[in-house]
Amino acid sequence: MSKTITTTFNHLALGVAAALGTSIAMPAIAAETTWAGFVENATYHRDDVGISKFRNTAQAEFETKFDSDSFRSVRLNGVLRGTYDGVYDLNDGEFGKDAQQDYLGQNWHGQDTSTSVLTSGVPFPCENDPTLCNNLDGYMDQDENDARFPEFNNRLDFIRELYLSADKQLDNGDILSVRLGKQQVIWGKTDLFRVLDVINPVDYSRHNIYDELEDIRIPQWMLTAEWRMGPTKVFDDSNLSLVWNFDKFRPNNLGTCGQSYRILDAGCFFSSSANLQLIPGGPYSNPVPIIHDVEEPEWSLANTQLGLKWEGVYGDATFSLNALTYRQQLPSLHFRPLGPGAPVPAADGVFDIKFPRVNLLGGSIDYYSMDMDAVWRLEMAYTEGEEMPRDLNGHKETDMLRYVIGFDKNIIIPELGTRSAFLLSTQLFGEHILDHESDMPNDQDNWIATALFKGFYMNNRLSPQIIVAHDFAAKSTVYAPSVSWTPDNHWMFNLGLNFKTGGEERFPWSVASAFGDSTPQFEPLARFTNGPIGVANDEDEIQLTVRYSF
Amino acid sequence: MFKKAVLSAAIALALVPNVQAADVSEAVIQESFFPYADGAPSFPGLKAGMTINQSNVEQFKDALDPAMYQFVKNGDTEIKVGETTDFALHPSYIEATRKYSGDVQLGEGHGEISETVAGRPFPAEPSLDDPRAGEKLAWNYKYGYNWGDSAAIMPFYWTMRDMESGNKERTIKMNFHFLNFTHRTSQEPYPEITPNPSELFRGIYVQVLEPFDVKNTQLLIHRFEDDTKVDNAYLYLGFQRRVRRLSTGQTTDAFLGTDVMIEDFEGYNGRISDMKWTYKGTKYLLMPMYNHNDMPLDTETHQDEDGYQVIAFGGKGGCFPDITWQLRKVYVVESEPVDPNHPISKRQHYMDAQTFIIPRNITYDRKGDMWKSWTIGQSHPDHHLPVNKGTGVSIDDSFTMIDIQANHCTTGQFKGIVDPERSPVDKFSVQNMRASGR
Repeated sequence: MSKTITTTFNHLALGVAAALGTSIAMPAIAAETTWAGFVENATYHRDDVGISKFRNTAQAEFETKFDSDSFRSVRLNGVLRGTYDGVYDLNDGEFGKDAQQDYLGQNWHGQDTSTSVLTSGVPFPCENDPTLCNNLDGYMDQDENDARFPEFNNRLDFIRELYLSADKQLDNGDILSVRLGKQQVIWGKTDLFRVLDVINPVDYSRHNIYDELEDIRIPQWMLTAEWRMGPTKVFDDSNLSLVWNFDKFRPNNLGTCGQSYRILDAGCFFSSSANLQLIPGGPYSNPVPIIHDVEEPEWSLANTQLGLKWEGVYGDATFSLNALTYRQQLPSLHFRPLGPGAPVPAADGVFDIKFPRVNLLGGSIDYYSMDMDAVWRLEMAYTEGEEMPRDLNGHKETDMLRYVIGFDKNIIIPELGTRSAFLLSTQLFGEHILDHESDMPNDQDNWIATALFKGFYMNNRLSPQIIVAHDFAAKSTVYAPSVSWTPDNHWMFNLGLNFKTGGEERFPWSVASAFGDSTPQFEPLARFTNGPIGVANDEDEIQLTVRYSF
Repeated sequence: MFKKAVLSAAIALALVPNVQAADVSEAVIQESFFPYADGAPSFPGLKAGMTINQSNVEQFKDALDPAMYQFVKNGDTEIKVGETTDFALHPSYIEATRKYSGDVQLGEGHGEISETVAGRPFPAEPSLDDPRAGEKLAWNYKYGYNWGDSAAIMPFYWTMRDMESGNKERTIKMNFHFLNFTHRTSQEPYPEITPNPSELFRGIYVQVLEPFDVKNTQLLIHRFEDDTKVDNAYLYLGFQRRVRRLSTGQTTDAFLGTDVMIEDFEGYNGRISDMKWTYKGTKYLLMPMYNHNDMPLDTETHQDEDGYQVIAFGGKGGCFPDITWQLRKVYVVESEPVDPNHPISKRQHYMDAQTFIIPRNITYDRKGDMWKSWTIGQSHPDHHLPVNKGTGVSIDDSFTMIDIQANHCTTGQFKGIVDPERSPVDKFSVQNMRASGR
C-alpha cells in the first residue's frame, strides 16, 4: 500500500510558485504526499548463452498535491528508478567488456564473406579502444558500469520523471493546464509500435522491443500546455495541446556492443572496422573504423522540438490530429569519402552518425462498432526529413508513411475454464518508403502483424497470455507466451518464454563485391532487412520476473 | 450552505419553464414516495433488535430472498433486524415527478420511452396484469434519485476474499464519481447540463488509487439519453498511459478481477434495452438499510481527518456486512439478457419501492443455477457524514458480491459524499483521464 504523508512544504511551495510565476497561497502550503513503488528482479536465461539478464530494479513514485487559491489543482510528481544488472558479473564470458565475438553478427548468423571485410564489434569500446571510444563520444559509448547501473549517468536518468502540473479554470469554464519538468508525453493509440508515440526516445538496451514502453521511454525535460475546452455544440470533448521538448536531444539507445540486448546488433556494427588495409595498393594501412564521429545536436533553441495536438470525441469516435517537428531518433549514417569525388572511405572512419530534423503530420481515431462489439483503431503518420539506410552512401532522405490498424475484442470462451472474457488484440503495422531505392535494405512496403490473446483466471490473479508478432519482409516471427500470478497486493510473479524464427534474409553489399563476393550478404545491411525480430533470432529465452510492490 | 443551495434548487426547479405534463395525482405520489406514512410493515414474530440465525430462520423464510435465506440457513451469516425507517427522497425529485410524469409512456420498441424531463417516470403501483410493468420499474430505477444529481465515493475499498479460508486476497482502493447530465433536480443546472452534443444521460468515472499494479487505472462510462444506444466506455491503463475504448464485452467481465461486472454496478448498470424485464410481484422483505453512524465500524481499513470509518464485515469469510436489515416494501423484478451470449441467464432484482435503489440481486448463470448474490447496504443520509444530511440520497454504504459457486466474494466499503464540487463536469471527459493519469 502506498504511504500518505501530510506535511508542510514551505521551500518546495516557493519553488513551485516561482516555477509557475504566479501567486499560490503563501507562505505555507499544506501538502499531501503519497508514495508507492516496487523492487523487482528479472532473471532471463538465453538458450546456449546462459543468463542474459539479472536485472534488479527499485522504483519509487511520489505525488504531492498542493492546496492553492489560484489554481484548481497543483501537484508535483516524481518517479525515481535505480537498476543493477548483474549479468555482467554473472556471465562475463558472454556479456561485458571482455565478451569479444569471433566475427560481427556472431549472435544472429553464421559468418559469411562480408563479415571478413568487417571486424567484429569491440565490446564496450570505451573500455577497450580509445579511438573508437572517441569516435563514438556521446552515443553508444557507455562503459561496463554504465550498463551495470544504467540510470546513474550524467543525464541523471535515475530521476525518471519529475514534473509540476497546474490546472487553472478559466472564466468560461475551460481549463488551462500546464505541466513542466522531466516527463513522458504519449501520443497515439498503438501498442508496441511507435507511429505517433515518438516524442520521447526509447531505450532498447533494456529488453529490445519487449518491455512496456512506459519503462523504456527516455523521459525528457518538456513543457506541455493544454487548453481543455470540454464539450462544445459539436464535440463531446475537445482539447488543444502544445508540447515543447526543450531538453538536449537524445537518440534511441540501441545498446552498446557487449550488452545483452542490442537491437539490430547496431552497437557492434558501430564499433567494428572495415579491413580496407587488405585492399592491395590501397591507401589504408589499418582497419578503418565504421564510425568516425557522432554529430549529436548541441542544445540550442533551434534544436528544441515542438508538437501540437488537437484531440476530441465526436459521437462514437475519439480522434487526434498531430503535428511535430523533432529529430530522427535512430542514427543515420553519412558516408565520408577519402577526398572530393572519391568513392572510397576516408582513412579515419567510414561514416558520421547524424540525426536529421523531421517533420511529422498524423492523426489517430478509434471507433466502437456496435455490430461487431469491437473497437477499431487507426493511427497514421507522414514524415518528411527521415533518412533510411542504403548501400550506396549510407542513407537517403525520404518521406515516410507509417500506419497501424488495430482491432480489439473481448470474447467469452467457457470451454477454456473461465467466465472472464479473453482479450484479443490484433494490429497491422505498415511502413511505406516514398522515395525508395533498390539499394535500400528495407522494402518499399513492409508490414508487421501482432496478436495478443490474454485470459484471466482466479479473479485475474492468474493471467496467461501469448503475443505473436510476424515481420513479413523479414519472414521472422516472435512467440512470447507468459503467465502472470499475483497472489496478493504486493507480490507478482511472471514466467515467460520468448523465442523467434527467421533472421535468414540477406542483402547485397557493394563493398563485398569489391572483395570478390557479389552474392547477398548478412553484413552489414541485412540487419535492417531482418529487423529487430529476425536479428534476435538466436535470443530464445526463458524469463522470470518477481516484483514486490509497496 | 449546501442545504440552502439544495432548497433553492428545488424551488427553482418548480419554476423551470419546460415540458409541462399533466400533474400526477397526490394519491399516487404519496403511495410511491411515502409507503410507510401509515406505519411500518410487519411480519409475524419479527421485531427490531432480534437476530435471525440458523435456529429460527425457517420462521422468517418468507421475509428473506432465497439467497439470504440459504446463507442464514447454512450458518454463513446472521441477520440483525432494525426498525423500518423512512428513506424520503429529496423534495425536488418528488416535485419533478409530480410535474413531469403525468403522461410519460413507454415507446413501442423495447427500451423506448416518451420524452421525460426529471423525476420518477412511472410512479403508479405496478400491476401483474401489465405485461410491461417490469420495464416501467426498470425505467424508474434508471431515472431514480440514486446518488442524486452527482456524488462521489472517496475512497472506495474493494476486497477480494476467499470465502472458505477468509483470506483477503487483494484490496483495491478507488474513487468513484457519478454525474447526471440530464434529469437533474437538486443541483444546478437543472434539468440538464449544456452543451451536451451527444445527449448523455449519466457519467460514471472511476480512478484506481491502489495497489501499485493497477494504480492509475481509470474507467469512464457515458450513458446516453437514448437507451437504444450502447454506452461509450473508456479505460485508461496506468502502465500504458493511454485511453482505450472498451467493447461492451468488457462490461460483463470481472471488473479488475473482482466478482463484480461493470454491468453489476449499483444493482444494474446497463441499458434497459439490453434486458427483458418482468415484474414478479410486490413483497415485504428484509433489506440492508440502516443508519451508518449506529453500526459497528471497521477501525482498521480507513482513517481520515473527518474521523469517518467504514462499515465492518464479518460472517463466513468476512463476506457479509455487519449491519442491520429492515423490513421494506420491494418490487421483485427479473431481467433476462436479450443477448443469448450474455454470461448470465437472469438477475432477480429486489427494488426498494420507496427509493428505487436495488439493495439485493440474485444472479443466475447460463444453466439457470444461482451464481452470485449482491447486497448493497444503504445508509440513511441523515445518519452518515454531516455533508450528506438533508440530501435525500439513500447512501450506498457497503456491498458484497458473493460468488456462491466459487465460494468467493468481493466486498465494498464506502465513503459516499454528496457534494457537487467533487464531481465537476470535466471529470467525466476523456481528456480528464489523460490528465489525471501520469
